Amino acid sequence: MAITDNLQKISDTVWELPPSYKEGMRVPARIIATEKLVREMDEAVYQQISNVATLPGIVRYALCMPDGHSGYGFPIGGVAAMDVREGGVISPGGIGFDINCGMRLITTNLTLEDVQPCLKEIVDRLFQRVPAGVGTHGFLKLTHDEFRDLVEQGARWCLERDMGWHEDLEFTEENGCIAGADASKISDRAVERGYNQVGTLGSGNHYLEVQVAQPEDVRDKELAEKFGITIPKQIVVMFHCGSRGFGHQVATDYLQNFLKVMEPTYGIKILDRELACAPFDSPEGSDYFAAMKCGLNMSFANRQVILHRIREVFSEIFGRSAEDLEMRVVYDVSHNTAKLERHVIDGEEKTLLVHRKGSTRAFGPGHDELPAHYRETGQPVIIGGSMETGSYLLVGTTSGSETFFSTAHGSGRTMSRTKARKLWHGKQLQRDLEARGIYVRSTSWAGLAEEAGGAYKDIDEVIAATELAGISKPVARFTPIGNVKG
Amino acid sequence: MSNSGAHGVTRPTMETGTPANAIPVERAVLCTPSDFIRHSCFVVFDMQPRTPITLVTGPLGSGKTTLLRHILATEPGRIAIVMNEFGEIAIDTKVIEGRNVRIAELGSGCVCCSLLGEFEAAVKEIINKISPDRIVVETTGLAEPEALVFNIQEALPQCRLDGVVSVIDADMLIRFPELGHTTRLQIEGADILLLNKIDLAEPEQIEPLEIKLCEINPTAAIVRTERCGIDAELLFGIGRERKIAPAEPGSPIPATTHRHHSEFQSFAFTSSEIFSRDCFEAFANDLPASVVRAKGFIRLADGAYLFNFVTGRWELEPFESDRTELVFIGKNIVSGKQAIIDALDGCIADTENKLS
Repeated sequence: MAITDNLQKISDTVWELPPSYKEGMRVPARIIATEKLVREMDEAVYQQISNVATLPGIVRYALCMPDGHSGYGFPIGGVAAMDVREGGVISPGGIGFDINCGMRLITTNLTLEDVQPCLKEIVDRLFQRVPAGVGTHGFLKLTHDEFRDLVEQGARWCLERDMGWHEDLEFTEENGCIAGADASKISDRAVERGYNQVGTLGSGNHYLEVQVAQPEDVRDKELAEKFGITIPKQIVVMFHCGSRGFGHQVATDYLQNFLKVMEPTYGIKILDRELACAPFDSPEGSDYFAAMKCGLNMSFANRQVILHRIREVFSEIFGRSAEDLEMRVVYDVSHNTAKLERHVIDGEEKTLLVHRKGSTRAFGPGHDELPAHYRETGQPVIIGGSMETGSYLLVGTTSGSETFFSTAHGSGRTMSRTKARKLWHGKQLQRDLEARGIYVRSTSWAGLAEEAGGAYKDIDEVIAATELAGISKPVARFTPIGNVKG
Repeated sequence: MSNSGAHGVTRPTMETGTPANAIPVERAVLCTPSDFIRHSCFVVFDMQPRTPITLVTGPLGSGKTTLLRHILATEPGRIAIVMNEFGEIAIDTKVIEGRNVRIAELGSGCVCCSLLGEFEAAVKEIINKISPDRIVVETTGLAEPEALVFNIQEALPQCRLDGVVSVIDADMLIRFPELGHTTRLQIEGADILLLNKIDLAEPEQIEPLEIKLCEINPTAAIVRTERCGIDAELLFGIGRERKIAPAEPGSPIPATTHRHHSEFQSFAFTSSEIFSRDCFEAFANDLPASVVRAKGFIRLADGAYLFNFVTGRWELEPFESDRTELVFIGKNIVSGKQAIIDALDGCIADTENKLS
């Protein structure tokens, strides 16, 4: 988009719309990106991020990450922290519908040479065991009541059923189970949509990828080793999925509730109804917070079951146990969340509700919420690129406080799904990728075309912008060799 | 979609045998639906009429479910309604679990369906099991209609996109002056915009809302409604049963329509002549913006066709008919009626050079 006169360049990676840009803005709106990336963003991002700046209780800035593009209410890539003691609100549009869609990265002690001969077998079997596509059912048969337990217990539920190792929890945000999830706050409809989807990828931009860390792509050898990237041409597995129809229904239910009470009960006036919200400390706000946490836990459990399936598949194919293959979780990061965190604002520590929508938490070294293993290094951050271009492992930085320790989450689309479908054809794309050494399986040719590399921003540019802005630092880059596309 | 300009599509004539360049039938079945368009991969159909699909979209709480109830109550055909969840419409009914779709019978011959699998597979299953007269798809309040439109046009050759209807809540438009990203896409993608809940707005507030909608989507027809009370004649083209509403030549819109929308009028045109295709296609492209719907049968030199037009977008589809019968519905179109009839008369093929 064209850079408007109102957008002030603060630095090479910080662009600001001042509160004078729009009536009602409580704080400035800031876009964290290089000039090239700002120019690639759609114009609605300006409108959306300045609308976010009008929400009650917002602190410092309404932020948009380098991979931002317009979404429902908030841009995808939007970050907003609300002071819960100063009437701060919670907004489903600031979290996203796919609550806690996120990334998980798993290492192995296999190399490209080990995996190459059986790559197709691995991908084909993963494709069978981790169901993908719209509305698919998982292999896990749960009753509605069991599902209600699962959304309160998160990934722990899976461990109690031997689907995982204890250390998996340690390397998952919130240890795989956020406290305060209350299944009495979710509708039967939400349960109906989710109870048979645990262990499934879903559709759209969700995927599971087998990747290789080429020696020249390891940017920080010391940190890479600490994160488990230790051998040349090491194979890793990365996947992206969320809370499926369940999270979607939770968000829909509460958006409708909020629209009813927002103005009549709480006198909150907003410009765009997609930003429907309620005070965090109101009954409606706290009910949504408790229900949204169920979405978080459903997603942690979903990724835990998928991890278990991946370990089973590798173990079967290589005839060795997952422990022997050292299939460890590097970390599990969430994209679409709102969490209570303590941040220092103008020298004073405050409890803030940090909305991150299409943004990854990136705590720097020394943060007390990090597991001991990463306390000194900072939090691993996993950013997925398109299925053609590669993905990154990064680390959080101490200088990330300006963005409430938040960074990018992916490369971000540059065009609509429909446009991508018109430009590429899934079957041809699959052949082209195979010729380049990337074996892809998908349930939908059209869906595959939507995810063509050309439909996304340049991942390297996004990563460079986060590094330049000081909000995360690259550790290693991974190249895809096999992909199950959701 | 409709706002991309007034260009119609003539479907390939599928009943005229296998074209010379067609690939053998046994290979044809290997083609994915999208190959059908992209690679001219001809699939041999028996002469199954295409099933019209209407998309209903609009923000959360704008009245989509109310519109579905209204359709079920007023449209006599056998309708399949596809919803994400059918809790609100079909309660305590017999539910059939299919492969891609769950189907609840509504007693009147209509069914309510919810998706279990991919949309395209579900629609095919509905057509095979139920063979409805038309399919109405309710999208979620968060859906961007463009992608579904594309799916229907590319991947469902057995269907025809009958129209995209967006339900927009007038009261919400007043209360939230800035349109959300998704709402804007839903307005942009519509053929017909229901400006609903006008009873909650002051009369003088409504025109500015129409202007606002028109700025976003200049080609869509805007219909003011209370509780989505739109006439089915305006909402739908010709269904799979291919019945055309009885309309005497020159009559105003049928009485049922009159009740809801006094500003909408209709007239019919009938003829036993043969019309020139080029001339008729130019005529369809040039129909005035006041025409919201036009539908019926047209006889061209190479046979009769079904004609379906909605706010600038139109299609011809091969069909058996020995007469040309067309109905035009629009806002105050009686004044332009003579010009339309004259233009049609001008398209009568020269009998000396008639091909047939």
